[in-house]
Amino acid sequence: MKGKQGFVLILLIIIPVFISGCWDSIELNKLSIISGLGWDVDADTGQVTLTFQSIIPSETKGAAGSSGDGGQKRGNPLHTIQLDSSTGSSAYDALNRYSQHSSRRTFYQHTQLYILGRSAAEQGIYPFLDSIARNPINRPNVLMVVSEKKARDILSIQDGMESIQAMGMAAEIKLSAEYSQYPVVTYLEFAQRLLSETTAPLAPMVGIIEQAGPEGDSVKKTRINGTAVFKGDKMIGQLNEDESRGLLWAINKIKKGFLVIPGANLEIVTAKSKIIPELQDEKIKITIAIDEESNLLEYDGHREISSDLLQDLEKGQAREIERQVMAAVEKSQALNADVFGFGDTVHRKYKKEWPVLKARWEDIYPYIEVVVKVKTHVNEIGEINKALMRD
Amino acid sequence: MSLENGKISSFQLSVLIIGFIFGASVIIAPGQGAGHDAWMAIALGLTEGLLIAWIFTALARHFKGKTLVEINSLVYGKILGNFISVLFIWYLFHLGALVLNNYSRFLELELYPATPKTLTLILIMLVCASSVRRGIEVLARCSLILVTLTILMAIFDTLLVVPHMDLHNLLPILDIPIGKLLWTSHATAIFPFGDAVAFLMVLAFVNKPEKGRSAVFKGVLIAGLVLIGVAVRNAAVLGQMNPIYTYPTYITAQVIDVGDVLTRVEVLVAINLITMGFFKISVAYYGAVLGLAQVFNLRSYRPIILPIGILMVILALTNVSNTAEMFDFANNGYPIYTIPFQIAIPLITLLVAKLRKLPQIGGEQA
Amino acid sequence: MPGFLFKKLHFKKILNHEQKKSAGQYSSSVSLSQNLEENLRVLREALGSSSDVIIRDMKISSDSNIDAAVVYIDGLVDRALLNHDILRPLMFNLQLIKDNLSHNHKSLIDYIKSSVLTVGQITVVQDIDRVIARVLTGHTAILAEGATRALLIDAKGWETRRIEEPKNELSIRGSKESFTETLRTNTALLRRKIRDPRLTFESLQIGERSKTDVSIAYVQGITPDNLIEEIKQRLQRIDNDIILDVSYLEQFIEDSPSSLFPTVGSSERPDVVAARILESRAAILVDGSPMALTVPFLFIEGFQNPDDYYARPFFAALVRWVRLLGYLLSIYLPGIFVSLKTFHPELFPTQLLVSVAAAREGLPLPVVLEALLMLLLFEILREAGLRMPRSLGQAVSIVGALVIGQAAVSAGLVGAPMVIVIATTAIASFLVILFAEPGALYRFIMTLAGGLLGLFGIVLVSIEMLSHLASLRSLGVAYLSPVTPLNIRGLRDTFIRAPLWAMDSRPASLDSPNTRRQSSGQMPRPPKSSSQQGDTQ
Repeated sequence: MKGKQGFVLILLIIIPVFISGCWDSIELNKLSIISGLGWDVDADTGQVTLTFQSIIPSETKGAAGSSGDGGQKRGNPLHTIQLDSSTGSSAYDALNRYSQHSSRRTFYQHTQLYILGRSAAEQGIYPFLDSIARNPINRPNVLMVVSEKKARDILSIQDGMESIQAMGMAAEIKLSAEYSQYPVVTYLEFAQRLLSETTAPLAPMVGIIEQAGPEGDSVKKTRINGTAVFKGDKMIGQLNEDESRGLLWAINKIKKGFLVIPGANLEIVTAKSKIIPELQDEKIKITIAIDEESNLLEYDGHREISSDLLQDLEKGQAREIERQVMAAVEKSQALNADVFGFGDTVHRKYKKEWPVLKARWEDIYPYIEVVVKVKTHVNEIGEINKALMRD
Repeated sequence: MSLENGKISSFQLSVLIIGFIFGASVIIAPGQGAGHDAWMAIALGLTEGLLIAWIFTALARHFKGKTLVEINSLVYGKILGNFISVLFIWYLFHLGALVLNNYSRFLELELYPATPKTLTLILIMLVCASSVRRGIEVLARCSLILVTLTILMAIFDTLLVVPHMDLHNLLPILDIPIGKLLWTSHATAIFPFGDAVAFLMVLAFVNKPEKGRSAVFKGVLIAGLVLIGVAVRNAAVLGQMNPIYTYPTYITAQVIDVGDVLTRVEVLVAINLITMGFFKISVAYYGAVLGLAQVFNLRSYRPIILPIGILMVILALTNVSNTAEMFDFANNGYPIYTIPFQIAIPLITLLVAKLRKLPQIGGEQA
Repeated sequence: MPGFLFKKLHFKKILNHEQKKSAGQYSSSVSLSQNLEENLRVLREALGSSSDVIIRDMKISSDSNIDAAVVYIDGLVDRALLNHDILRPLMFNLQLIKDNLSHNHKSLIDYIKSSVLTVGQITVVQDIDRVIARVLTGHTAILAEGATRALLIDAKGWETRRIEEPKNELSIRGSKESFTETLRTNTALLRRKIRDPRLTFESLQIGERSKTDVSIAYVQGITPDNLIEEIKQRLQRIDNDIILDVSYLEQFIEDSPSSLFPTVGSSERPDVVAARILESRAAILVDGSPMALTVPFLFIEGFQNPDDYYARPFFAALVRWVRLLGYLLSIYLPGIFVSLKTFHPELFPTQLLVSVAAAREGLPLPVVLEALLMLLLFEILREAGLRMPRSLGQAVSIVGALVIGQAAVSAGLVGAPMVIVIATTAIASFLVILFAEPGALYRFIMTLAGGLLGLFGIVLVSIEMLSHLASLRSLGVAYLSPVTPLNIRGLRDTFIRAPLWAMDSRPASLDSPNTRRQSSGQMPRPPKSSSQQGDTQ
């Protein structure tokens, strides 16, 4: 009887040895690790072009046998990634075409970024989202970005200090959350908004700028410079810097960052906001209550620092915040895209009335009355408590 | 009684029931049909599940130290009793096959797309078979360690995913039509809670039979509370995406990202699935094998372990052809299909036994 | 498969047994005859013509008219003792006695025992078998003409090793003595630790030819009686030629011989054995083996170390966890690493994956083979280091370090991360010496499972391993207790080590009739006044 236990154990070991053949096993050196994926659609032909940025591990530090030459190779970051595109009639068609011509199996689970070309975004990205979500190659926290031009252009720019460009860009986007200027959107968040009955999906936009390089040449760099607004799966417009900040104020996504008002510059310490819907006689009124605290970083005026002045600063901040939020509201109402998720808040509060409202949301949204209530407070004034210069 | 000499304590029974209920529900999120109200569906289902547990523990209390097969032959006589027992054994066998099926589907989708299901199924079956052969005592002992680990991992996952939670996603409460909510909660009552009826084959081996019911209740309740917690967590993290995903718990774990280092820990969920599924399969498997041995008066259930296991694998391979069908059955077919086994058999047997005033005559029970 | 093998072996054993019985050497179970010549002839026949068997003829009594003989084995007896306290009184003192004993042979033996010999332990026997057996263990026999009884004198004395420091179970604070090969010394070591009158050493002889002395040590009233009975039964069942070491016994009495894990504990430290005896276990000592077995043996004991009890509780708990973690690491690390690399690269954090992938570039072997090869190499090095003469040990480690560490990596045969993983594993495997053997085997199994089936395979093997461990018993006690089946009070000496004053009961899973170890509430509390004094000064 004891022997039979051992028998089962040995069977357990032997069976896989002889019959498995390791279907799913793959050696790391037979993988092509994709770090960034770009999606472009030709506006005329509808042909899908996927751009793959893959990592070349042997060119990064720590490759086997590289101890001899002391990692001199890692100096040039251009060698660490490889860019390749393939075109097909659909996402999977393009993907398969790419895989066919690759010496290694493509491995998507470490993709940092999905970059959507603008024209592709405008034509609708549902096929892309579906093809990704249906497959376990996708992870929910991959960042989504809309490119001003073609996705391939973004992926081909070598920018920053990171050897793997997509990772660098992902780090840049994640860090930008600290400055609360543009939204950081993961695949999951995008899909959540897409699935909502009314809320419009968002994604940060990345553009290309040219700067003077160290040797007088011009160097291309990527910059986040706006927020793409979607309606359904189609991009319909874009928010500029102010409007993006206003949006973040309203949806409680401000973590830290700076606030510039005339004559002063403040650092946001904490910020909280709440969207409170009210339904009166079939009319919806939205109150956005924002509670903000900040530190004074810079004051250009000559006034004595006093509670008067601080009150003025607080008022100034409140005005600025309100201006930004209202700018976003106006833009979104003009686009008729509920970027704030007003619909969802109404849904949560007025469950019974919602089915009726939902049907007419398209007509209701542009005319919603929005009130912004801002409470601000200046916490610290820094190391000096008087103006540096006398009047 | 010579078929199983082991005894388990009521505490071990509770833990084993927790493991059993976690079984497939770690993966197939119960109450998913209710969207973000899943937690409420589970809560309602838990109440109904406790009711089911009340019925079958009442039967077990009535006949202390007897498995359902023995009870049946006492209550209905040899022939009819064995017929009903075989029906119940079929249910256990089918349950085991269903869980095996869920198991292999999950592995195929998330981790092993190319490995043939037959292989994964046979391997799981072999592991379960070797534990079933060792008896209920060993299963109960393993459950304590593995269930503790699973609950710790669930807590760990939940803590790490807190920054991604938005409790607004749970609002508005009661967003779905009441009929659908009730149906979903009935489905959760049946799966995973009602499946605990399989323990009618195990309750006989509790060392203090009078504590059996409270142990079952404790197990079901704790498992239910954890599942409610998991449902709240999943809904808060995934929001509108929660009902979309096939395996929301797995996706929720994928969201975890603490400073780019503590990330990609979803494999913990997969491990939970494999270990907890092991208990569900093993208990059902054990019940089926033991019951069959009792029906046919075998001296030991061991010789039929492997044959039954192989049949189970074959059923698991053939009964559902794709994941959509599996979910359709889980949501629509299963809640009705199991009513005879989970509610009718225990209830009617109990009533008949009461009418025939059976336990009093049974001087042989003790 | 093992079952099948075992059955075959068992069959063979029975065969051997039969043959041995029929070949029987001295089947005569006769008592001593009155004729000394006859007795000596039987003795000679039985003991053969070995040169170390000494049969010393002599004439004793006042008029030197009684033939007698002293029989012993040279080298096993203390010669000084023999000459001074046996031969001299017999041949010299007896002559001074005026009483005429010559016609009273029956009382001669008693007289010699009571009045002549000046040695401690003397027994009177009537069987010639007993005489032979005892002479072989180092006793000295005195036979006399006309007497049907013989005297057996314990005058053992042979070269022994001194009590030395423990070699394998090191302790920083604990006592520095270890068992020796001499059973008496070992029992004395235990007796010195436990001066309880109820400490009992029950002796028996095992081994058809070796006649090895075996002692079961326990404290009456603490160790459950049925446990002692069970041990005795199992020991008496043994039918073996020779018992060279306690491990021989271990393999005959353990509960599950097909398990990779030991279900019988062993220690070379008297303090450990004494502590375990007082935890209501029993110890088995074997003459000629510097180790003692302790049963029942629980899994958790493998992670306990004497220093745990000598150190402060918090640190002891930390060390316990380190050991547990290290052991798990030593089993799982290569398997998990291999499975992550070959099946689940998505589970590496991206940056780590890039480093690992970079190190993997251009390596010729698949990861599984690489890992197995390195593990094998490590086992070879370990075994070589163990068996090699001390003077060469250094060379092995240098060559090993160079071959495994440097050359293999720079030659591009093995990835540097793999070397790190295997090295970590190797070091971790030394944390829990008792389970090093099953650890090594499971390490290979896990690596194989991880390489062939990924984490799924590892989890399956783990479940199987856990269920196997849970099914093990050691002398009827569940192997994994007190963790599972859970015993909350027992947990005080598992993942934590409670302060000594808090461990007031013996481990409950051992089912001792006397569970109380000490009175509770002994937490030291300094008197209040003294601390106040300190403050005021």
